[in-house]
Amino acid sequence: MKPELPWHSRFDLLGITFLLFLIGAFGSLPSIEGSGRDLDYWGNLSRFSSQFFPPDWSILDRTLEGLLETVQIALVSTLLSIVISIVLSICAARTIAPLWLLWPTRMILNVIRTIPSLLWALLAVVIVGSNPLAGVIALTFYSVGYLAKFFSETFEAADTDAQQALRSLGATPLQAFQFGLWPNARPIIWSHCLWMLEYNVRSASIIGYVGAGGIGLHLKLYAESADSWNKFSLVLLCILVIVTVLDFTGEKIRQNIRNKLEGKKSN
Amino acid sequence: MSTPLLTTQELGLRIENRTLLKGLTLSLNSGTFVAITGSSGSGKTTLLRTLAGELEPAEGKVVNHLDCTTGLAMIFQDLQLADGATALTNVLGGSLGRHSFLSTLFRFPSEEREKALHLLAKFGLSGKSNQWTSTLSRGERQRVAACRTLLTRPQLLLADEPVSSLDPALADEVLTHLSNSISGKNGCLVCALHNDEQVTKFADLVLRLDPSDPNGWKLEDLKPKEVE
Repeated sequence: MKPELPWHSRFDLLGITFLLFLIGAFGSLPSIEGSGRDLDYWGNLSRFSSQFFPPDWSILDRTLEGLLETVQIALVSTLLSIVISIVLSICAARTIAPLWLLWPTRMILNVIRTIPSLLWALLAVVIVGSNPLAGVIALTFYSVGYLAKFFSETFEAADTDAQQALRSLGATPLQAFQFGLWPNARPIIWSHCLWMLEYNVRSASIIGYVGAGGIGLHLKLYAESADSWNKFSLVLLCILVIVTVLDFTGEKIRQNIRNKLEGKKSN
Repeated sequence: MSTPLLTTQELGLRIENRTLLKGLTLSLNSGTFVAITGSSGSGKTTLLRTLAGELEPAEGKVVNHLDCTTGLAMIFQDLQLADGATALTNVLGGSLGRHSFLSTLFRFPSEEREKALHLLAKFGLSGKSNQWTSTLSRGERQRVAACRTLLTRPQLLLADEPVSSLDPALADEVLTHLSNSISGKNGCLVCALHNDEQVTKFADLVLRLDPSDPNGWKLEDLKPKEVE
C-alpha cells in the first residue's frame, strides 16, 4: 500500500502563490462598488459607442501626419534607450559587473521603472516644453528602466562557454565578451528591442495627452469636444493598424530568431 | 632532433575523490602525434584539461616548455562555440590573441579573414561560412571549432575527441589536416580518440588509460625509429 503524503505536500511555491492571488482577488470584490445609482448600463454603452461610427475619414491626412510623428518619437526614443540600456545592463548583470557597481545600477533602474510614462512625459514637458522632443526624452527614460533589466537578465542567462573558450585562446576580456557572449545574447536582445519599439508606439500615442507630441494630442482634442467621437475612432483605427503591423512583423522576426537559435535553418 | 614542448612528472589526477591516474611521466615532443585512448570516464578530458593548465594536478606536475602562452591551444569536446555568430566569426575568434580590442572592434584584419576562409574551405565548410553555428550539424560545428583553434597557430594542440561526430572518411581528412598543420610548425598534436584504426593510422605514440586502475596506463610507441 502506498503511504499517504501529508496534505500540505501538495502546495509548492506555485500552488501557494496562486492561492494567495485568488484570496486577494476575491477579497477585493467587496470594495469594487458602482455609483449606487440606477443606471441603464447597456443603453449608455450603446449610445456612446454609436457615436464612434462611422469613423470620420475627412481627417485622415492630419491623422497620418500625427501618426508619423508618433512613430518617429518611438523610433528615436527606442534607439536612444537601446544604446543607454546596453551600457547599464552590463553594469547590472551579475555575471559581468562587480557588486559595488551592480547594486547601485539596479537601484537606479528600479527608480526609473517606478515612474510611469505619463509622469516622465509631464516632467519632460516642464523641462523642454510641449513638443516631440519631450516625448523622446520621456519614452527614452521609461524604456531604459525596462530594457536595461531585460538585457541584464539576457546576459546572465546567456551561454558563457564560448566566452571562456576565447579567453583560453588568448582573447582579452572585452574581446571575449564581444565575440563569445554578445553573439549568444544578441538575438534575444534584438527580440526585446522589437517588443520595446511596439510598446513605445503605443505609449507615444498617449503621451501627447500631456503635450509630449504625437497623435495623443489629436486624441485629447477630439475627446474634449463632445461631438468628435467619430474622429476619435478614426485615430484609434489608425493606431490599431500600425500596432498590428508592428506586432505581426515583430512576431515574424522573433520566430525567425528562435528558429535559428534552435538550430533550424532560416527561410 | 625533437624537443619537449611539455612534460609531466609523476602526474596524478583525481576528480571528486576518484583517482583517475597515477604516476604519469610523459614528454610531449615536437613533431609527434600523441593519441590518448580509453573508455568513457577513464580521464581523457581531465588529462587534457590538466595539460592545458585549466585544472591543477592532484599529484606531480606539468612543466610547460613553450615560449609563449598562445603556443598551446585546445579543441574542446563540448566545442564552446558562439551559437548566434557565423561560422566565420567563430573561426576568427582564434585570431583574437594577436590583435587589440580596437583593431577587431568593427572588422577583423583582411589577412585574418582570408586565413579563416581558407581554413573553412580546407575543412569542407566554404559554403557555410556565413551561417550561424546554431544551424550547423554537430559534425560541421566540430570542424568550425577545429578551424578556430588552428587559427591561433598553436605549437601544441590538445584536441578532445575532435572527430567523434564525423564519418570515417571525413574524420581521416580532418585528422590529416590537423596533423599536417601542427607538424608544419614542428609542433605536437595530442588527440583523445576512440577509434583504434585512427590511432594506428595517425599516432606516433599512444597513451592507453584504464578506467579501473589508475596505475594501469600504458604508453606505446607505434612508430619506433629505425635502427641505423
